[in-house]
Amino acid sequence: MYFIIEHLSKSYESKKVLHDIDFRFESGKIYGLLGRNGAGKTTLFNCLNRDISADSGRFYIDDGGQQRDVKPEDIGYVLSTPTVPEFLTGREFLKFFIDINKDSIKNLRPLDEYFEYMSIASDDRDKLMKDYSHGMKNKMQMLVNIIAQPNLLLLDEPLTSLDVVVAEEMKQLLRSLKADRVTIFSTHILDLALDLCDEIVLLSRGELEAVDKSNLDSHDFKSKILAALREDTND
Amino acid sequence: MINSFLISFSLKNTYRVNGILYSIKQIPLIGRIIPSSLYSVSGLKVLANVISAIWEVISIFAGKAIYLSIMFFGVQSVFENVQISHSAIFLHALFFLTIVGALMNTYMFNPSNDKYYAMILMRMDAKKYTLTNYGYAILKVIVGFIPFTILFGSLLSLPLWLCAILPFFIAGMKLIAAAIYLIIYDKTGKTVNENGPSAAVWIFIVLLFVAAFGLPAAGIALPEIVFIIAVAAAIVAGVLSCVKIAGFGEYRQMYHKILVNAKSQVQSKQTAVRDRSRKFISADTNIKSSRKGFEYFNDLFIKRHQRILWKSTLKLTAVCICLVLAAIAAVYMLPEIHADVNSLLMVYLPYFVFIMYAINRGIGFTQALFMNCDHSMLTYSFYKQPKSILKLFVIRLREIIKINLPPAVVIGIGLSALLFVSGGTDNPLNYAVFVVSIIALSIFFSVHHLTMYYLLQPYNAGIEMKSGTYKVVSLVTYFVCFAFMQMRLPTFTFGITAICFCVLYCIVASLLIYKLAPQTFRLRV
Repeated sequence: MYFIIEHLSKSYESKKVLHDIDFRFESGKIYGLLGRNGAGKTTLFNCLNRDISADSGRFYIDDGGQQRDVKPEDIGYVLSTPTVPEFLTGREFLKFFIDINKDSIKNLRPLDEYFEYMSIASDDRDKLMKDYSHGMKNKMQMLVNIIAQPNLLLLDEPLTSLDVVVAEEMKQLLRSLKADRVTIFSTHILDLALDLCDEIVLLSRGELEAVDKSNLDSHDFKSKILAALREDTND
Repeated sequence: MINSFLISFSLKNTYRVNGILYSIKQIPLIGRIIPSSLYSVSGLKVLANVISAIWEVISIFAGKAIYLSIMFFGVQSVFENVQISHSAIFLHALFFLTIVGALMNTYMFNPSNDKYYAMILMRMDAKKYTLTNYGYAILKVIVGFIPFTILFGSLLSLPLWLCAILPFFIAGMKLIAAAIYLIIYDKTGKTVNENGPSAAVWIFIVLLFVAAFGLPAAGIALPEIVFIIAVAAAIVAGVLSCVKIAGFGEYRQMYHKILVNAKSQVQSKQTAVRDRSRKFISADTNIKSSRKGFEYFNDLFIKRHQRILWKSTLKLTAVCICLVLAAIAAVYMLPEIHADVNSLLMVYLPYFVFIMYAINRGIGFTQALFMNCDHSMLTYSFYKQPKSILKLFVIRLREIIKINLPPAVVIGIGLSALLFVSGGTDNPLNYAVFVVSIIALSIFFSVHHLTMYYLLQPYNAGIEMKSGTYKVVSLVTYFVCFAFMQMRLPTFTFGITAICFCVLYCIVASLLIYKLAPQTFRLRV
């Protein structure tokens, strides 16, 4: 399966944020999306998640030569600040989500199994989420986004504010999830991107560009990425 | 010193000019055609500067003019039959109100943004900044008051020299207050925030108000000679206070305390909104739901928000029942008012448009929906699918209508009952018109609030209100309802029209929701 973006553009007034983006993402890989501040990473995600409409261009899923539009259920979008409905308990949220999506969830399992999977302690499962810690909210958000096994998983700076233990759990989780889907992971932390991602993609001057790693050791690869990002004088 | 003043003045001006430009940009339609580069467009800047300059001049005179004219005309009309002369009451009230003003409006202890920018962000010399700007503020007090003390003073036939000296008295009192606050800071390290007086200060202020207007009502006013001595003393003490103010060396530390505290209060305003909404969520662990899917989701939302939804509506209903019963009892026991009540009822239905608007829980409901639910749920794609949005809209519409119905039924039946008790009507349909039209109005406002929320969803992820259109529509709704309060129309005609309008509105709103909500019900970016 491929996730393909063609000629995607987005401007705010006269400022072109995304400029005719063309890219082909392959399933089974985690893509590390790097870009300077204000390069448009969140704009790109918002366009793909249809929170804002692009000025032109399209994106679609190519499944064995069959092209089809991206439906909302194809996308999981995890934001850096976790947002969960705070008036529900973790269990209620999960039950609600499964009620709504039971037709599209493959091999449905008992609720507690999902909590085990995310290492959410059993006495936390029936607490209102307004009393959850940041890390736990993040886990719930992640859980709801991966349970339906979306074809495209968008992660906007998801690990930056987590404690080291949860961050490590999340990394493991993402690695275990990457088969059969496209994972795009935006971050400002170069080492994290190099550690977790299979491909590095730069968003600079409004365009996406893969950085070729062939024959480079990690130090040279880093320098190459930095050099490319420095060229992007965004102002 | 002068340089420091000029820099701070131009800083304040820039900040004000940008504020004006920003508000222009927020106006719907007009804002859209103005580019974001407007902050550097020189024509617009000149215009904003002119507005800013006019604002500065107005700020010198307008408040003082309003203040003294209210005092003048107030004294004239309220104390018409009191034995003491109006000029004595005027001076008496002015004396006590000046103390209030000196305590509450010091300029020095107002944690305003321009001070924060200048002293904290730009690291200007705090002492120079404060002394020059404070001097300017005091000068504005004197200049701003002089024309009006002379005007109203001469209208009250006070001697010209006294009129001319009053502004110096007011300025002197302000200087004294500032010096006292500085001394308190010296002694205790405590800063004063004039926008948040302590309970003790509030009580003192209430007492001053009582002294200002209560004593004259009781026939007591300060003798003119006492007042003149007080004025002279205040001016002398004011000059002495200048020494304290000019010699005070810790402005930097003091403002750091005042401004950083105030700033963190402002920044946490949104957090405060969130915290407040969060508090509405009931922690009762017995709340459960046996439903499924969106009904389950909604059921839990309603049950966990009892306090702001059902409980408040039931309280309101109880109040309405009491009022209705009291009104019926009154009409029943006083036959002589029957005719008046009856004829009032036949033309007063438009008044209830505003009442139904005012008691509708729609705004609270949509706010709670956003803060505690949609704000987070709208980041999930399954929630934003058109069929989910529409399904939940229907459920919510049902809930909001249900929540608003009990008081409406009580008011509707109450009005019919009043009509009956006060002598009845030739056309029995009038009874039905009351009940149905009040219920229709209640449903209309429920639909209206929820439709606006779904079509204009005005908040962004940071729960800032982003939609100018939403604000405009809210204001227009308010004013239209307010205007109805002034109207007297035959109940029958108005009631039937209102019912038809409400039905029509609900149909149009539902169509619009089905067509547009899947696109409009989004977090603003």
